[in-house]
Amino acid sequence: MNHYPEIWGRPRDDIYGPYNSSYLQTTGPKTYTQSPAVTGTSVIAVKFNGGVAIVADNLASYGSLARFTDVKRLRVFSDSAVIGFSGDVSDMQYIHRLLGSIDIRENYSTHGNMLNAKNLHTYLSKVLYKRRSEFNPLWNHLLVAGFDEDKNPFLSSADLLGTTYSAPHLATGFGAHLAIPILRRLFPEEKPLEEITKEHAEAALRECLKVLWYRDARSLDKYSMAVITAEGIELKEDQVIGAQSWAFAESIKGYGAQIN
Amino acid sequence: MFRNNYDNDAVTFSPQGRIFQVEYAQEAVKQGSVVVGLVNKTHAVLVGLKRNAEELSSYQKKIIEIDSHMGIAIAGLASDARVLSNYMKQQSLGSRMTYGRPIPVDRIVTQIADRAQTNTQHYGKRPYGVGLLVAGVDEAGPHLFEFQPSGMIHEMLACAIGARSQMARTYLERNLEKITNSTRDELISHGLRALKETLSQDKELTVDNTSVGVVGLADGGKGKIESFKHYEGQDLVPLLEAVESGEAKEEETMEVDS
Amino acid sequence: MTSIGTGYDLSNSVFSPDGRNFQVEYAAKAVENGGTAIGIRCEGGVVLAVEKIITSKLLKPDANKRIATVDRHVGIVSAGLVPDGRHFVSRARDEAASWRSVYKGPIPVSALSNRLGSYVQAYTLYSSVRPFGVTAIVGGWDSEAELAVDGQVGSGPKLGSGGKVDGAKAGGPGLYMIEPSGLYWGYHGAATGKGRQAAKAELEKLDLSSGNLSLIDAVKEAARIIYVAHEDSKDKEFELEMSWVSSLDGPTHGRHEEVPRQLLEEAEKAAKKALEGEDDDEEEEQEETKDSGNSGERMEE
Repeated sequence: MNHYPEIWGRPRDDIYGPYNSSYLQTTGPKTYTQSPAVTGTSVIAVKFNGGVAIVADNLASYGSLARFTDVKRLRVFSDSAVIGFSGDVSDMQYIHRLLGSIDIRENYSTHGNMLNAKNLHTYLSKVLYKRRSEFNPLWNHLLVAGFDEDKNPFLSSADLLGTTYSAPHLATGFGAHLAIPILRRLFPEEKPLEEITKEHAEAALRECLKVLWYRDARSLDKYSMAVITAEGIELKEDQVIGAQSWAFAESIKGYGAQIN
Repeated sequence: MFRNNYDNDAVTFSPQGRIFQVEYAQEAVKQGSVVVGLVNKTHAVLVGLKRNAEELSSYQKKIIEIDSHMGIAIAGLASDARVLSNYMKQQSLGSRMTYGRPIPVDRIVTQIADRAQTNTQHYGKRPYGVGLLVAGVDEAGPHLFEFQPSGMIHEMLACAIGARSQMARTYLERNLEKITNSTRDELISHGLRALKETLSQDKELTVDNTSVGVVGLADGGKGKIESFKHYEGQDLVPLLEAVESGEAKEEETMEVDS
Repeated sequence: MTSIGTGYDLSNSVFSPDGRNFQVEYAAKAVENGGTAIGIRCEGGVVLAVEKIITSKLLKPDANKRIATVDRHVGIVSAGLVPDGRHFVSRARDEAASWRSVYKGPIPVSALSNRLGSYVQAYTLYSSVRPFGVTAIVGGWDSEAELAVDGQVGSGPKLGSGGKVDGAKAGGPGLYMIEPSGLYWGYHGAATGKGRQAAKAELEKLDLSSGNLSLIDAVKEAARIIYVAHEDSKDKEFELEMSWVSSLDGPTHGRHEEVPRQLLEEAEKAAKKALEGEDDDEEEEQEETKDSGNSGERMEE
């Protein structure tokens, strides 16, 4: 025991050499979140005749660990919109609380003038852009589904940079690579929206989820689906992609070590 | 020097629970020239009587556009109105920027009313010396609000504030049903007629001293609006003529009645 | 008025030699002239009601609301200076929002009333401000069920957070009244404004502490009491505005809402009938129907 309390409990310098504190950077630029922690994967959505359908699975991953398997990534805003979140789950919670406080404010007065999905998307994209401009982004890519002021189906995306874009079908994350080609095949550009029914849209989304479950290692077979029509929002949060099997994998040849 | 001990500032109640400074501020509204506002099922209209300080000076503005879906008419201290209207323009623009939607009329009116209330509860401030009529449309249709220096706001079917406005209010009360069921152009005529009631014998409505603002729902419906239009100068000719011809017609029918 | 001319009543925050703050008493005078406002707390929820004197024919009927929603589960009605009432509500909304941001849940009605009491009291402390010219009635429902935490992920622990016993019930209705001095009490039935004396007398007859009144009956009683309280200023027309908040399994599902049009009209009709019965029981039925028809027309205006 010596009389230098600051080194008590530390490896002895005379044996292990002086403590290397270089990693405890006290100088250099101030940094905020550099990467997301607990994340959700793809969100996929399709416009159809009279509404929008949107899905996301119920998984929140911690890195490659499937950490939480009952996470709701589709959030409903006051009968007028559904927001699908991919990316950081705690940032999703923050945005959800933000939406909750807006919802309370919007309901102070009772007569009309409620925010529609388009208003909400404008707002959220401003929030995301502001945060990225402060170099402290909310690490999400989100899809907003609902209706615009003319009561037409509305679907648009906003990401952690504040970038926005819109299309009749959208997907985030891995879905942007795997689901979009499927949706483009099913609903080609020249096919008018009037010919796409709610059932078509739902079936297409399930097909996309199935493909993602096989090919995206951060996905889950339990998912949530929301359908927004003029009648309201129908949200199912405990859906399962049924009867799937990896049995076919045995017959795949040409990859890795083969026995014969 | 003061009328009593309780009217020196806006933070003293009288024994009856009144705040004299606020009541005095309401008097400033009555000094201003008259403005009238009225709504039917599709439109909201503002009309105002403009005054010039002297023969050669220009006329004081009475109607200000806030946004494409809303305008105000003022009676009282014009510079106080400028402060309030600038604030309303900012809030309105803010709503369009953040949410991409025109600000609902009741909300912006509440915001200026809350500001006005603060001026009546804290020492070193004074109540605003201006009354406003706010006309606008939103998802719930056309609206007309009256704003007072006390921070009081009321949604009205029709309203008049300013000098000799009682005459206009009497006209509006008598014709309330007709006003509510009128067409856009009739609504403007009713407004001008109410304004006319307030004029002293030797005065008339002219293209120089009259101001009209109209905002409403567009014919096509589906949430589309007819943007706020401010009629001044020669644009007023057809509106004033419509009032005259309307009156001629009314006289005829009156004769038949008697 | 012994206070007038002494000089002790000219500034807020100043005590008179006998220990009174006159400016606060004068603020209370402003309340006494306001339209009657009441609140009834019963087993199934809370009802708020207010008498709105129609000061002009040009007012848009049914538009100028005086009962405000503060959070999903709380409403406030006040009597006195209307702009001060809005200031009060605006503070209540800020308090409710700040509670949510700290505790991730709705503010209990008792806590909200406590904070508002403190806020109002602060306006009696300084000569640079004047007290609130309102007495406000705060009514709400504290959820009896486990609430999902704001922004919660997943379904949460199966047995309730914080080791609570599953199925245990908490929460219930809350009703408080805050005066210009900052003083507040919890109430079974609260009344303020011009007709408060008559309203209080009627509230006491209801025997609210026994817990036998249903929420629907409370709505009807509230309407009747406002009508009774209006008797003294019968020459003036008025509009009745009512709101309510019920338990989670009740009609509003724990939310503060306007009383539906149909129920409001029903309650008004019953209130008018009850009044006529009181006025003169021997009156012919024919007369009665004619009378109610007339007053019905008046309310339409």
